[in-house]
Amino acid sequence: MDDGRPIFLQIAARLEDDILAGTMPEESQVPSINEMAAFYRINPATALKGVQRLVDAGVLYKRRGIGMFVATGAQAQLLDERRRAFQEDFLRPVAAQARALGITPARLAELIEKEMEK
Amino acid sequence: MTAATLSTPADAAATPRPHRMFNAARLHTANPWTTLLLPWIIYAAIFALTYVIWQIVITNVGGVENLPPDAFRYNGGAYWALVYMLIAAVQAMNLTFRFALGMSLTRREYYLGTAGYFVFLALVYGTGMTLGAVVERATDGWGVGGAFFAAQLLYEVPIGQVWILWIVQFLVFIFLGAAVATIYVRWGSTGITVFFIGLAALVVGALYLHAKYDASQPIQGWFATTSLMEFAAWGVVFAAVCGVAGYLLLRRATPRA
Amino acid sequence: MTTIIETTGLTKRYRGVTAVNDVSVALSGPGIHGLLGRNGAGKTTLMQLISGQEFATSGEVRVFGESPVENAGVLRRTCFIKESQVYPDGFKGKHVLKTGPWFFEHWNEELAQQLVADFRVPVNRVIKKMSRGQRSALGAVIGIASRAELTLLDEPYAGLDAVARRLFYDHLLADYTEHPRTILLSTHLIDEAAALLERVLVIDAGAIVIDEDADTLRGTATTLAGRATDVDAFASGREVLDRSRLGGLATVTVTGLTDADLAAAAAAGLELSPVSLQQLIVRRTGAPIEIEEAS
Repeated sequence: MDDGRPIFLQIAARLEDDILAGTMPEESQVPSINEMAAFYRINPATALKGVQRLVDAGVLYKRRGIGMFVATGAQAQLLDERRRAFQEDFLRPVAAQARALGITPARLAELIEKEMEK
Repeated sequence: MTAATLSTPADAAATPRPHRMFNAARLHTANPWTTLLLPWIIYAAIFALTYVIWQIVITNVGGVENLPPDAFRYNGGAYWALVYMLIAAVQAMNLTFRFALGMSLTRREYYLGTAGYFVFLALVYGTGMTLGAVVERATDGWGVGGAFFAAQLLYEVPIGQVWILWIVQFLVFIFLGAAVATIYVRWGSTGITVFFIGLAALVVGALYLHAKYDASQPIQGWFATTSLMEFAAWGVVFAAVCGVAGYLLLRRATPRA
Repeated sequence: MTTIIETTGLTKRYRGVTAVNDVSVALSGPGIHGLLGRNGAGKTTLMQLISGQEFATSGEVRVFGESPVENAGVLRRTCFIKESQVYPDGFKGKHVLKTGPWFFEHWNEELAQQLVADFRVPVNRVIKKMSRGQRSALGAVIGIASRAELTLLDEPYAGLDAVARRLFYDHLLADYTEHPRTILLSTHLIDEAAALLERVLVIDAGAIVIDEDADTLRGTATTLAGRATDVDAFASGREVLDRSRLGGLATVTVTGLTDADLAAAAAAGLELSPVSLQQLIVRRTGAPIEIEEAS
């Protein structure tokens, strides 16, 4: 848990990461609120807030009496969201840095290609 | 979440429930040493000491026959028991009060429970002393014509009255100690100092008045005509007044660090 | 969620010192809330007013909707653990634990025994002879095992080392998760407890200076570092909590930056770093950062 952002957002982000990576497959059960609270050493209400955020986004759903599950299509949904955010979250700072260092867009494209070949 | 939320129904009344007051009294017994065990040991020790002194005296004079019959009838040994209980009451009021607040008791619950415990102590020790007196009289003064448990004024008093007088004496000393302790609990050392200065002033004032108006005759007269049982009654009244005063003081006392 | 504690203009004055100054707050439960502030800020006094152990000079305090003073109905649902707790002469740890179930309806003996073992409380030792940490541990055991609906913990880990403190948080959180209740935790070790807190109250010289949700508070401030001219340009017109300078470099902590602002700052070549809750509160209360003594 870092200090910069509200904890519940960090919880939501970690769950999203796990879903995207395939660690939490669709229709699998997500750890309970209490388990998450104990594991991350946070208030259960905060864990609940993070989970609720994903429920509201349709990434998770609740099965009464059993727990929280990853929704079908969640992976695709998150992938889509992240792709759209990619430019703003990742490319913009790279572009800014490149500009600061005097790296031309063409040169940047070369570098990116090299990176992605790895 | 399936965890059960702790809650209590809203019938919780503001009046203290009997079992909480009973537990307030029990607080004093959680460590029974100071008020239930040690006193017996102290009383036994004082008695033993007194007895040893008697024996020494007897040996010195070469035999009981050489002593006047009431030689061992006047001694204040047993009164140390009262002083000890006063001290124990002071301690109880001071330290246990703050602990009681820490255990979420109200001052009222604590005081009523403690007062009840004090009455219980007076009954226990009063009866204990009386039993000592019974044995004392049965053994003809421990074989040496001595009196410890029913000495001086109590020597010729019927055992029933001895019992009442012992209980009343314990009540007086205990509640007096408790009341003075509450002055300390409420106002600290400043309060106690002021109290004793005030008390000294009162005593001096009383002595002055006594000398000025020569009250010795009426006072002696009163003592002569008042029976022991009447004294006992006044004792109970005094203890009750101390009890009420203590409560009024404690009601606004706080656990100052 | 119901309002558990509510104060209105609560004030306490002692001999010319205003320990609690016109405090009006409301805390709901179940939840774990923090009462933060420097030593001597008024945390203990406020808790004593909430628990009815102290009498207010003016203002009101309501617990479970009623005044807690001399109110058995309220007090038996409350547990107040403080460092300055006095115990009767000759009392040993086990005597105190014995009395737990007498006064706390939800007391759990099994939990108490487990906590005693985990914290290594020397129950057969006279409390007067216990170390500060052992006394705190005893208090922590009672505070947690009481499972009181309202549990007030006033600096419950004075004298506990870092390992014992970790144990404390873990146990508190675990039991709270199983048995939710309202916990108000006062501390000056903010970062350790920060992740547990829902609502944060910061008290300074008797007055409440911050009354916010922990999550809202977190991330409201950012530290920017870089060339002094760039930093100053960015900081102008914003609330500045802290600034420092080293030659041509400057660091400034500001609040209220939006995501767009953050992006702009990064684009301007400034280095961004997060501000922990402790640093935020310390800077808001204008206090130098305290170093906790090693115990």
